[in-house]
Amino acid sequence: MDRRTFLKSATGAGALAATGGLSMPALSQGAAAKTLRFVPQANLANFDPIWGTQYVVRNAAALVWDTLYGIDDKFQPQRQMVESEEVSSDGLTWTFKLRPGLKFHDGEPVLAKDVVQSLVRWSARDPMGLMLRAIQNELVAVDDRSWKWSLKQPFPKMLLALAKNNAPCSFIMPERIAKTDPFQQITEYVGSGPMKFLRNEWVPGAKAVFEKFADYVPRSEQANWLAGGKKMLVDRIEWVIMPDPATAAAALQNGEIDWWETPLADLVPVLKANKNINVDIGDPLGNIGAFRMNHLHPPFNNLKVRQAVLTALNQEDYMRALVGEDDKLWKPLPGFFTPGTPLYTEQGGDMLKMRNIEAAKKLLAEAGYKGEPVVCVVAQDMSATKAMGDVTADLLKRIGMNVDFVATDWGTVGSRRAQKTGPGQGGWSMFHTWHAGADCINPASYTAIRANGDKAWFGWPDVPGVEAEVTNWFNAKDIAEEKAAMGRLNQAAVQNVVYAPTGFYLGYQAWRKNVSGVVSGPLPFFWGVSKA
Amino acid sequence: MLAFIVRRIITTIPVMAFVALFVFSLLYIAPGDPAAVIAGDQATPADVEKIRLSLGLDRPYLIRFGEWLFRVLQGDLGTSIFTSLPVTQLISQRIEPTVSLMVLTLIFAVVIAVPMGVIAAWKAGTWVDKSAMAFAVLGFSIPVFVVGYLLAYVFALKLDWLPVQGYTPLSEGLWPWLRNLILPSVTLGLVYIALIARITRATMLEVLQQDYIRTARSKGLGQRSVLFLHALKNAAIPIVTIIGIGIALLIGGAVVTESVFAIPGLGRLTVDAILRRDYPVIQGVVLMFSFVYVLVNLIIDLVYTLLDPRIRY
Repeated sequence: MDRRTFLKSATGAGALAATGGLSMPALSQGAAAKTLRFVPQANLANFDPIWGTQYVVRNAAALVWDTLYGIDDKFQPQRQMVESEEVSSDGLTWTFKLRPGLKFHDGEPVLAKDVVQSLVRWSARDPMGLMLRAIQNELVAVDDRSWKWSLKQPFPKMLLALAKNNAPCSFIMPERIAKTDPFQQITEYVGSGPMKFLRNEWVPGAKAVFEKFADYVPRSEQANWLAGGKKMLVDRIEWVIMPDPATAAAALQNGEIDWWETPLADLVPVLKANKNINVDIGDPLGNIGAFRMNHLHPPFNNLKVRQAVLTALNQEDYMRALVGEDDKLWKPLPGFFTPGTPLYTEQGGDMLKMRNIEAAKKLLAEAGYKGEPVVCVVAQDMSATKAMGDVTADLLKRIGMNVDFVATDWGTVGSRRAQKTGPGQGGWSMFHTWHAGADCINPASYTAIRANGDKAWFGWPDVPGVEAEVTNWFNAKDIAEEKAAMGRLNQAAVQNVVYAPTGFYLGYQAWRKNVSGVVSGPLPFFWGVSKA
Repeated sequence: MLAFIVRRIITTIPVMAFVALFVFSLLYIAPGDPAAVIAGDQATPADVEKIRLSLGLDRPYLIRFGEWLFRVLQGDLGTSIFTSLPVTQLISQRIEPTVSLMVLTLIFAVVIAVPMGVIAAWKAGTWVDKSAMAFAVLGFSIPVFVVGYLLAYVFALKLDWLPVQGYTPLSEGLWPWLRNLILPSVTLGLVYIALIARITRATMLEVLQQDYIRTARSKGLGQRSVLFLHALKNAAIPIVTIIGIGIALLIGGAVVTESVFAIPGLGRLTVDAILRRDYPVIQGVVLMFSFVYVLVNLIIDLVYTLLDPRIRY
């Protein structure tokens, strides 16, 4: 019996054996009535949401730092810290005003100078922020509550840039903290969000604790994702880091934790069978599986070789390897954008539906492929990349490619993929990853879709046609123009194989039934969540 | 004796220096980049490079090693690349859970294993001996995580007697502390029971053949006195050695148990640091482990002199 099978059966046996809802919580619940114990997707190893852009850091930061605008479930930016904004008729000058009464956790008021400095730091690291910097005339405080951002050319997506939930978000920090170099880590965690971070209780790798901020003034609107009134209904939130999924499953069944962000798919049936536990889709925007080919070196510097791989690829193989037999958790994706979102398109995605090994072999022959090794670097310590890597290795062998499968860990993949040297000189031919669907609803923060050569993401695709459509989308004046640009962008990206999408997949979240107010979203939203 | 202790402590310094140099060099040549992990998956190559520069990871090996050594000699193990917290603070946060787990595991193992080994030797060849050794082989053969999950299933999920996971500091009370540690220490203890029981049996079998045991019996001493007062003391040196090695192994080797029971100990700290390439933390922890190894060996040597007056340093 392997480890995974054992975990499944042991936990399953536990659930089935426990009639009447398994067992009473092993720990006293009285003292913890207003403490929500949450198991996040990963360890909170650092806590600077601008310096480190991991999702888990962003998720924790959303409790501590507030944003000027917040995105809602219709993907629309809504005012959050901002009371009002004005844009000049030529679209070049934006003037914003803060809501009154906003305070930082150290008791100091939130002022326009704090906002300006925070935006300076954020814009040095964020793709949309960098675009704003490139066209910026001036970003200055006008008075304590107002600031002005003047530009050399209009930027219609300004509010989206300030509201988006893609990391790094434009979190507002006190000026003294925001003055930290954006490539250096902050050491003080003071925000104006609904929860305070208790640094003295932080045990990295084990526990992070947040306490309700009494002076937080939520908006009056209903909470909706990152928008609306962020009303905290619990006094304290404890993030408990659990490296072992079977332990997290058992702790949830036992009542030792309240909410688990990303249950392992194998363990979900056990949790669903427990009458004390709710299970539902976590992030409705899901993830897009992917492998990147290195456009700089043979064999994937040859377009026909890349097309051959895409022609042979069967996304169902990848998705089954990732999520098993649960058909609710995946769908084929003939394109690059997140299904179910307003701008979703499948235009030009036929190559991703072919699944034709013979056609792929023919393309390889036409391309003049002569058995050059494909250095496939796979992080074995992440179940998703491991599963996809195994499928790809098999796929490449079946179409007659010479695979050099390099099994390693994510720390190594992370550094190796930055190498531009040839695959035989410490470089690589391909690696696997995934993209949060929230990042892929449009080109705004979709680093992986960019094809601007040296400035592009790892793999360095250089496709002017793709870049032209990204620009067209940014400059679009209405939704029809945006959709048209997205369709052409998808077509160009598929045709040139910017990268290979392996399908769209979802994951579950699970929480105990004495917890209410949990919603599906691109990150765990704690406002509105209560515990009986 | 005092001279011996001082001499041993002085000799630990070059050992630790070599370990430090070895670890530092190993990390330097190993693949992986903390900047890539920090920047996150969506970062651009340019972002990763800027973070590398800000962390000083581009500087030459000798300069980095020299700076690190200089700080270590001043008692400063540096700052974690990821958390910006001092390495000494990260280690001190994790020592109590690991030492607690280690102590309880050893108590549990020794209390069961030594009598088990003695009795097995006394009843050598009988069903008692065979059962004890079968149990020992079983304890050694079943993977720790399997035992851990089984115990958690029975005693936490099914019987609801103990918690599945977590750690409560001793300062919050003896029972809360003990409650969290019973299952992990039993899990880990089974491995050590097997090890200690088998060594005890083997050495006891040898001692029981000695003339002085026959003499003791012929003087009319009871079986208990013969076994535990005469034989066991003379068989104790290998047993103490294996217990000492067990202590050293437990300090760093409890990774699986700490993961299965979500105990925030040194094992998890080390694994997390290695996976993220948090160099200062790895170096600090390894340095501490090497010190513990040296210290434990010193204590074992000192205990020898108590057990056997013929041993002098």
